[in-house]
Amino acid sequence: MSARGLLWIARASLRADRRGAIVNTAAACVGAASLVLFLALGLGVSHAARRMFPAEARLVDVVPGAVSLGGVLGGGQLDDGAVARLRALPGVADAWPRLALRVPLAVPGPPRGLDYNWPPGMTVQVPVVGVAPGLVAQDLRGRPFVDPRDGGPIPTVLSGRLLEVYDKTIAPAWNVRRLPPGISLVGVEVPVRIGFSIVPQKTEARVYDGRLVLAGLSDRVPLYMAAVPLDTVRRLHREYGKSDQGYTQVTLLARRPDDVPGLVAAARRMGFAVDEGERAAAERVGTVVLVTTGALVLLAAVMCALAALAIAQSLSASIRGRAKEIAVLAAVGAAPADVRAIVLAEAGIIGVLGGAVGTLAALGVAALADRVALGLLPDFPFRPETFFAFPAWILLLGIAVPAAAAVVGALAPAAIAARVDPARTLS
Amino acid sequence: MIRLAGVTKTFRDGEQALPILRGVDLEVAPGELVAIVGPSGSGKSTLLYIAGALDTDYGGEVTIADVPLAGLSPTRRAALRNRAVGFVFQSFNLLQGLSALENVMLPGMLRRDGTDRADVRERAADALDRVGLAAKAKAPPARLSGGERQRVAIARAIFTRPRVILADEPTGNLDAVTGEGIISLFGELARDGLTVLVVTHEERVSRAAARVLHLHDGRLSS
Ligand SMILES: Nc1ncnc2c1ncn2[C@@H]1O[C@H](COP(=O)(O)OP(=O)(O)OP(=O)(O)O)[C@@H](O)[C@H]1O
Ligand SMILES: [Mg+2]
Repeated sequence: MSARGLLWIARASLRADRRGAIVNTAAACVGAASLVLFLALGLGVSHAARRMFPAEARLVDVVPGAVSLGGVLGGGQLDDGAVARLRALPGVADAWPRLALRVPLAVPGPPRGLDYNWPPGMTVQVPVVGVAPGLVAQDLRGRPFVDPRDGGPIPTVLSGRLLEVYDKTIAPAWNVRRLPPGISLVGVEVPVRIGFSIVPQKTEARVYDGRLVLAGLSDRVPLYMAAVPLDTVRRLHREYGKSDQGYTQVTLLARRPDDVPGLVAAARRMGFAVDEGERAAAERVGTVVLVTTGALVLLAAVMCALAALAIAQSLSASIRGRAKEIAVLAAVGAAPADVRAIVLAEAGIIGVLGGAVGTLAALGVAALADRVALGLLPDFPFRPETFFAFPAWILLLGIAVPAAAAVVGALAPAAIAARVDPARTLS
Repeated sequence: MIRLAGVTKTFRDGEQALPILRGVDLEVAPGELVAIVGPSGSGKSTLLYIAGALDTDYGGEVTIADVPLAGLSPTRRAALRNRAVGFVFQSFNLLQGLSALENVMLPGMLRRDGTDRADVRERAADALDRVGLAAKAKAPPARLSGGERQRVAIARAIFTRPRVILADEPTGNLDAVTGEGIISLFGELARDGLTVLVVTHEERVSRAAARVLHLHDGRLSS
């Protein structure tokens, strides 16, 4: 029997028992809808959580030891030697040191073109950290991140989350407008006064004007700091006669996420501490999301299994009632294998149909849930636009899983059908 | 052509063996219409299903359309039924989910080789035309009369241009006039060169047959 013939006959059989087919399709539909909805919810929430806690699984933040016993021996200090030793640890792909700028720097006015967002007369003191270019390279899209020796604008990277926090928290507090949605601030320049502090005693003897240019946004930069090239910080320290007191932090990139625990232990053995605050929070949130999603998906799997059982049960019943029809099929030339294939195809059609309808229903329910939830929730930083994510593979699963479940459920009824003895049934 | 040689069949009812066929020899040539008569329960249907490769649990040898049945796989046997044999039953046995035309198409859709639906549909329409039912192609079986249903069943049986037609009480559920029409249809098929074997206990059917065989005590006699 050709695939075409198979589908033709299976469809005809379904048409003969419309009610049973509809009930079975509804069962598959419920299974599919719950599966797709729960998977999409888990995925959507974990996307949202990752935006709030963008910890990367391969990064380890090493900071100087808290109790600096090593200070005597020079062990707890994060100097170039320490960076070299950390970089040499097995499993380390790269090591990026950070150096806090000890020269005050303030922004006396708004970036060009964004004047409407600046309370008049305000000067903002900006904490600056120098970072190795490798740390932010992935977020620069080819823009240069090197120290401008000639007094040009200093390339700066801000935390991607800062914009979100500004929009949702700072702007309302200052009672100024939010950033226009979709605006790209990359390339925007802001005037700075180098050496100037809003605390008068801290202002250096020499103050001069400069500019910062936003080179990119990165989740690897601290939320309330401006990151500039490490060389810029070193140059400013030289200009102002400040000694480099060792790095404030070294970020290690592990080759694989599995290498991280080993690196953490090794760094601690070397007398350093490991800043796990963000990672721990991200991991906690990730675990909660994973466990909840897992439970929901398990529930959906149970529903799919129940749907398969219901289909198996009702197909078995219908096979018993259709023995005569099956015998007729055999008389006109259906082999037992054909009969089995026809019953499986019927289940497959039911599964695919139910899966497709269920998946569509899940999309609808998700849209509705988003609308309701977002209407009820206040605006807050990182408030997600949607709580669901529907990549293509989820939609495919929404059809494939119920179809497979229905076909598996139909195995026993199909075997029963293939065993119908036409001679005995027809006489 | 149908050839049965020394065919035996025994049903088992628990410990008890019920011999139904005790050595049946039968040969029906192409173009021949042969009737088998016998009392109820004598084993006529049993014999027919053995001759049609639907029943495999028997003794002796059966050859249909030059193909010996011994040792055929279930799939090959099904293909033989599809290509070479057309069954007609007393209770018509049409599928309720299909229209008259689609019931006739059924054997075509079961074909392993390329199933061109338009072609199958066209040939099914021809077969329906042949039995004089072209006008009822779209009707579901439930809306056809008994005679019309049996004609649809015959159209389904001749759809694949089989070499053998096996009919089990084809007029049993029909009134006299309608039955005559069906019988003359079988006469035509035989004249076209088909091998037609009809099981019946009706006089009028056997009168139309070239040969009438009696099944009695598990054996055939003329
Ligand atoms: N599966 C079975 N198990 C046991 N006995 C059976 C079985 N099928 C048929 N029989 C018996 O075999 C005998 C022959 O049955 P068959 O249906 O061939 O008779 P028949 O000649 O066609 O009768 P009728 O004219 O009533 O249709 C009957 O006595 C019947 O009871
Ligand atoms: Mg009978």
